[in-house]
Amino acid sequence: MSKVPVFNLYMGCSVPANYPNYEAAMLKVAETYDIQLEYMEGVGCCGSPNLRAIDYLGWLTINARTLAIAEKNGHDIVTPCNGCFGSLKDVYHFLKHDANYRKQVNDILKKDGLEFKGTITPRHFVEALYTDIGIEEIGKKITKPLDGVGIAIHYGCHLLRPIDVTEFKPEFLNDLIQATGASVVEYPLWKQCCGATVLPVDENLAIRLARDKLKSMKESGAEFIAVVCPACGNQLDLQQLGLKESYGEEFNLPVLLYPQILGLALGMTEEEVGLNMNRVPADSILNHLTG
Amino acid sequence: MVVVYPMTEMDEQSGPPITLIDPIDMSKLDTKFREQIKSMPNGEELSACFACSTCTAACPIANIWQYKPHQLIRMIILGMKEEVLSSNEIWLCLTCFQCQERCPQKVRVTDIFFDCKNLAAEEGKVPPNIIGLGKELLEKGQLYTVTADWEREDLGLEPAVPGLSVDSMKNTLKKTRTNKLVEGGE
Repeated sequence: MSKVPVFNLYMGCSVPANYPNYEAAMLKVAETYDIQLEYMEGVGCCGSPNLRAIDYLGWLTINARTLAIAEKNGHDIVTPCNGCFGSLKDVYHFLKHDANYRKQVNDILKKDGLEFKGTITPRHFVEALYTDIGIEEIGKKITKPLDGVGIAIHYGCHLLRPIDVTEFKPEFLNDLIQATGASVVEYPLWKQCCGATVLPVDENLAIRLARDKLKSMKESGAEFIAVVCPACGNQLDLQQLGLKESYGEEFNLPVLLYPQILGLALGMTEEEVGLNMNRVPADSILNHLTG
Repeated sequence: MVVVYPMTEMDEQSGPPITLIDPIDMSKLDTKFREQIKSMPNGEELSACFACSTCTAACPIANIWQYKPHQLIRMIILGMKEEVLSSNEIWLCLTCFQCQERCPQKVRVTDIFFDCKNLAAEEGKVPPNIIGLGKELLEKGQLYTVTADWEREDLGLEPAVPGLSVDSMKNTLKKTRTNKLVEGGE
């Protein structure tokens, strides 16, 4: 029996503010598999790609700070958000390889008694599930497997790319979905962006990108969508309501955060995974639980 | 299954690319621009570009860009600094990294567009909504704030985000470019 995996839990700002159901379901899933998640103390938000665009040094510094705080207790970071994951992983990768910037950032962090050394790794929660628990162990605790219903996965750009930085393979999430008894629906636009990043600059474009994805998923026979990011979730879930209004198009594709799907298959109630907070009504997933 | 990757359908199309029509004024080129980008984060591979335009084929929104991704890279190499840093395209970039993933020459296209945005920001050329987000980070220390704490409590979570420190963000950004941009925008 291996020891209980312990992680620094980095929430960022979007999940706690907009998706407490994601947070709650993730914590319950972690509890089921004896994963110890400890909220990080004294950390801010990751700044998002927007901060990276206007203030590279500021973006490096705040993320290096988060990494340096985690280094103090020696545990890897896990986060449920692709945006936070992308920022932390990119900064980690970049500062490991760039001595000049590392010195510049550490000179700033020194005032808080912190230093980035690159001794712990930032990881996405689903990757930690896949790697540290494993598909076999995950499967053992499932009491209400799904009946093979087709789920389209939106991985999210900053989970997959750049691959030399993220080191995340789409198969991880495919296997995690299949472990719940659901089927993975392949669709042509699986790699495409949800449009979230461009929302502040061109809302119409952002909506069209979400629409392209939803169309591609629907046409490929998906009944549900799985996401692992609050920004992607927002684009695909909330925008369906907008698309109904502005384009008269109805996709009726409920969008679930992965821990909600796994949680239900583990026997959690719809209240425990906060199903009532999903914008496109998602309770039809309950009809696909067996056992 | 036949896999097709269509570009995003938009009502407006951008017309023929601008650089193929207008002659380039050699006297307006900044020959140092290329070296500047190459010295920035992940810019080293810039010169490896052989203009195959795979990045443009990979970009889901290149059809609405007046300057296509491969043209922007070529423009950087040529020294068309003014045009690149004033372009709307660098801000429309989705940062989806599909161009960068597919580049056969390992040019870090998306990362280079981040470098361009930072240079544009240094000159104060940032869309107002992005300045607004910088202001949000500077003043609130985060992009999203918990407003519906009862929703968190209903799910058995702490009403406020445990461990959150907004001061670390504020103090950091006060000393970096974000502060200058936000102040300059007011």
